[in-house]
Formats: sequence, structure tokens, C-alpha cells
Amino acid sequence: MLICEQVHAGYGNVRVLHGISFAVQAGKVVALIGANGAGKTTAMRAISGLIGPDQGSIMLDRQPIHHLEAARIAHLGLAHVPEGRHVFAPLTVEDNLLLGAYGWLPRLFGFRRKAAQEMDRVMQLFPKLAERRRQLAGTLSGGEQQMLAIGRAIMARPKVMLLDEPSMGLAPVIVQEVFSIIRRLKDQGMTLLLVEQFASHALAVADYAYVLERGRIVVQGYPEELMKNEQVVTAYLG
Amino acid sequence: MNRTMILQMIVSGALMGQVYALIAYGFQLTYATSKSINFGQGELVMLSAFFSLTLINWGIAYPLVVVGGLLFGAVLGLFVERAGVRLALEQKSEGWILLTIILGLFGFSTAENIWGRDDRPFPTPISSDPIHIFGIGITPLEVSVILGVFAVMGLIEGFKRYTLLGKAFAALAADRDAAGLMGISATRTIMLSYALSGFVSAMAGILIAPITTVGPTMASTLILKAFSVAVVAGLDSGFGVVITGLVLGAIESLTSFFLGSGWREAPGLLLLILALAVRPTGLFGKTTIRKV
Ligand SMILES: Nc1ncnc2c1ncn2[C@@H]1O[C@H](COP(=O)(O)OP(=O)(O)OP(=O)(O)O)[C@@H](O)[C@H]1O
Ligand SMILES: [Mg+2]
Repeated sequence: MLICEQVHAGYGNVRVLHGISFAVQAGKVVALIGANGAGKTTAMRAISGLIGPDQGSIMLDRQPIHHLEAARIAHLGLAHVPEGRHVFAPLTVEDNLLLGAYGWLPRLFGFRRKAAQEMDRVMQLFPKLAERRRQLAGTLSGGEQQMLAIGRAIMARPKVMLLDEPSMGLAPVIVQEVFSIIRRLKDQGMTLLLVEQFASHALAVADYAYVLERGRIVVQGYPEELMKNEQVVTAYLG
Repeated sequence: MNRTMILQMIVSGALMGQVYALIAYGFQLTYATSKSINFGQGELVMLSAFFSLTLINWGIAYPLVVVGGLLFGAVLGLFVERAGVRLALEQKSEGWILLTIILGLFGFSTAENIWGRDDRPFPTPISSDPIHIFGIGITPLEVSVILGVFAVMGLIEGFKRYTLLGKAFAALAADRDAAGLMGISATRTIMLSYALSGFVSAMAGILIAPITTVGPTMASTLILKAFSVAVVAGLDSGFGVVITGLVLGAIESLTSFFLGSGWREAPGLLLLILALAVRPTGLFGKTTIRKV
């Protein structure tokens, strides 16, 4: 579903990714783990078009996307829940969710009605958001903002969803909640690329995983294999 | 000196101030999506007024003239975005400042070449015979100004609030990257905001022209005051410009009455300087205006 081959990317003169290759099959959850500064966020930004990769190819559903801008890629079915959540703070919870579906909703009128079904689905998944429908997103707690960011991505009805450190800065209970949502999405057949610094949670849901170190993929395998790999265990699971 | 006369000054000034508010609103529209403003917006006001005058001279009915003028303004707005703003924004430079000023100058000389330097009257079917309410005279023309301003601003605010496309404006203003991830194209949204600011400028031109006459310099002081209003109200404050415009217009007309018309431009400038010194985010606004 999503295939990266020899992707190089960076910022200005700083090269961050030195040719990474990986694949996410349809309906699978793939984890990308690595230390601070390994380049996980950079990889996600390169996939979703927030930065243009310098080299390499990225295919979404057999279609090359590495030369497209973020908005186009979103229309092709990729939803990226960015690190730090990036909800639209001055807009209401509901408006945030509606904008998540910007790609397929009518732009002028009737969008509320059209979005109703999807909206209900998200509200069922996140009852807290239902209570706070008209609240401004910026006034939500960190956990609620993360739920909103994920809900907004679900609204897009994506083919692939990228989740960048959904547990960042959250209390353990909320982290549990976030991962139970991820599991639900997986059960519903969503294709997911999941970035986590703390690998144990990620490996517990993932079907396959890659370990990124200083812009290179150094280890890959099924979670059971990685959990037996000494290097991986001492570096990320210890 | 009687009270009615002073009230009269205040009312006429405040009405005039709504035109500043409308142009200031045009600044806000493009600032919201792109953090850039069109420094040549005054020339858009003027060119659209000239264009509308030409339509009138061709014998086209007034309502159609208004529609034509507004569309012309929107097209000019799109032209400014394409020629002066897009490249600069893509390169993350502040080049749009200089480029929009240059486009403005270009528009000015174009107007001189096509229509000459003279000020011309702008005939309108709307009467300028005052109606007296509590002793204060208001002309239907002045009423048309205020109605026109509110209609346009109300329309655009409604668009921003009640359509998904309008909400995308706010999303882009709040978080550009996240907006991109939702599939909101920054380029297209910025184009739309420039078209709307051109539309708004044209409305200002059409509304003010019958009062001030039409000439290449008709907007040069207008734009300064609109800029003061935008800075004082804040570039992101929506209806703050209406109140600020009201107050500035009223102060202006009192100043010119008591100190002589040579002082007419003073309050606007003073206000601008004060605002920049005391509260660069604007009275109603949140973000600062960098490097402008
Ligand atoms: N906007 C930027 N400009 C320049 N360098 C950047 C930028 N963003 C990140 N970097 C650099 O790129 C490298 C990789 O950063 P990245 O954010 O991809 O790491 P990460 O694996 O996501 O780390 P973390 O776990 O802390 O989120 C770092 O060395 C970082 O300093
Ligand atoms: Mg990161």
C-alpha cells in the first residue's frame, strides 16, 4: 500500500535520511522505532509531502507521490497525524473534524449532512470529543487533542494513516487509551504506519517493524524477532 | 457652535470611516491566509473605480456596472497574487512587500495612460440630497456606502463561518502544515483570499467614487488611513476594523472642522504611529506584524 525506496531527505543543508526503504502492506500496522533525532518525523514528513524528498521514490497504492505537495497527497488517501498533534486551536472540535474530511466533502453547503455518518463514528470512538463538540480545540487537554488529531485523520477515510508519537507527553492511562484506539483501527482494517520512541507499546500492536538509526534502517523484522534482538532490547526496550 | 453641527460632523466622518474599514478588511483577508498584504491595494480601489466609470460611460446599467467592477477587482487581486506574491511566498521571502508596491506603481501609471490625470465625476443613480433625521443630514449616497460595506463584509464573514471552504481560511491561518495534511491547498486558498481582497477593494472604489470623484490619486490618502485602521484594529480582528474606522472617521472630520482641512490626514498618521509604538498587535488583534 505504501512503499518507500531509497528515500533521502533533510532540511536545507542538513541531510537527515540517507536512503531508507520500507513497505506497509494493506491492512497491516507497521512500526518505525528509533531514538530522538533518528529521523522518524522527517520520514513521515517526507511521505506526506510536508518536505520534498531529495531522492528516492514513494508509492501510495502503486502511485508515485514523492513529487506531489502535501494537499495532493492527502487527497490521494494519506492521513498524517503529526507529532505534537497540530489541531486547529482557534477552531471548534467539530470544525476540526469537518476539515479532516475536506478532501471529500462539498466545500460550500451540505457538508455537515454529508459528514454526519463519519462524524458519528468518530464520536463513538471518542465520546469525550462528543461532549466537547463546540469547544475550541486549543482549550482541550493534551490527551483530548491527540484524540481529536486521530479523529480528524479518521474523518479523511484514508487508505493509509501515519501516526507520529501519539503517546507523546501523555499520562500512562491516556497512553493506554490511545493504543486501544489504535488496536480498534487495526481491527477495522486500517493500514497504519506508527512511529514511537518507546517501542514496547508499538511492537505490541505492530505486524512488522523497522528500527531507524541516524537516518538509516538498521534492523527490521516481526515484533517477536525484534523483541529477541539484544541490541534492540537494550536500546529501545530496556 | 451648536451640538447638531458637531453631531453632523461625527456622523459623516464615521460613515466615511467605513470605507477605510472596508479596505482594511481587504488587508486582513490576505493576511489571514498568507501573512502578506497587498501594498498596492489602493491602486486596486482606483483602477476598479475607473473601470466601473468606463462601464457607466458605455451606457451599461448601474447594477451591472457594480457587478462588473467587483469582478474586475477580483481579477486584479488574482493578478497581484500571481505576479507579486506567490513566488515570494514560495521562497519564504518578504519580497512581496516590494513587489506589491511596484505593482501598485505600475497600476498607477497604467491608469494615467489610459484615463489621464484629471479627476472625473462618477455619476450614480443614488441621490445625494440629504434626508434629515434629528436635524442631522444624511444622504442616500452615504447610506449606500454603509450598506455596501456591511453587505460585503457580512457576505465574506458568512462565507468564512458557514462554508467548509471558508473554514479552510481559518485552518490555514492557524496551522499551515496541518492544513496541507487535510488536503487544503495553500496556493488556492491564498488565491481566493487575494481575489476577495480585490473584490473588497473594488467595492470600496465604487462606493467612494461618487463622493470623492475618480482620479489616479483618489486612493492615495485612503490607503494610508485604511492601513492605520488595520494596524490599530489588528490584522486578524475581523470586525475590529469597523469600530476603528468609525472612530477614525469621526475624529478626522472633527479635526478638519476645528483645525482646518489641512490637518485632515493628521489623526490617521498619529494613530498609526501610536498603535505601532504602544500595541503592535492591534487593539483587537493577537499576532504582531513583523517587519512591515
Ligand atoms: N526543521 C528542521 N530544520 C533542520 N533540522 C531539523 C528540522 N527538524 C528536524 N531536524 C533535524 O533532523 C534530525 C531528525 O529529526 P526528526 O525530528 O526526524 O527526529 P525524530 O526521530 O522524529 O526524533 P524525536 O523522537 O525526538 O521526535 C535531527 O537531528 C533534527 O535536529
Ligand atoms: Mg519525531
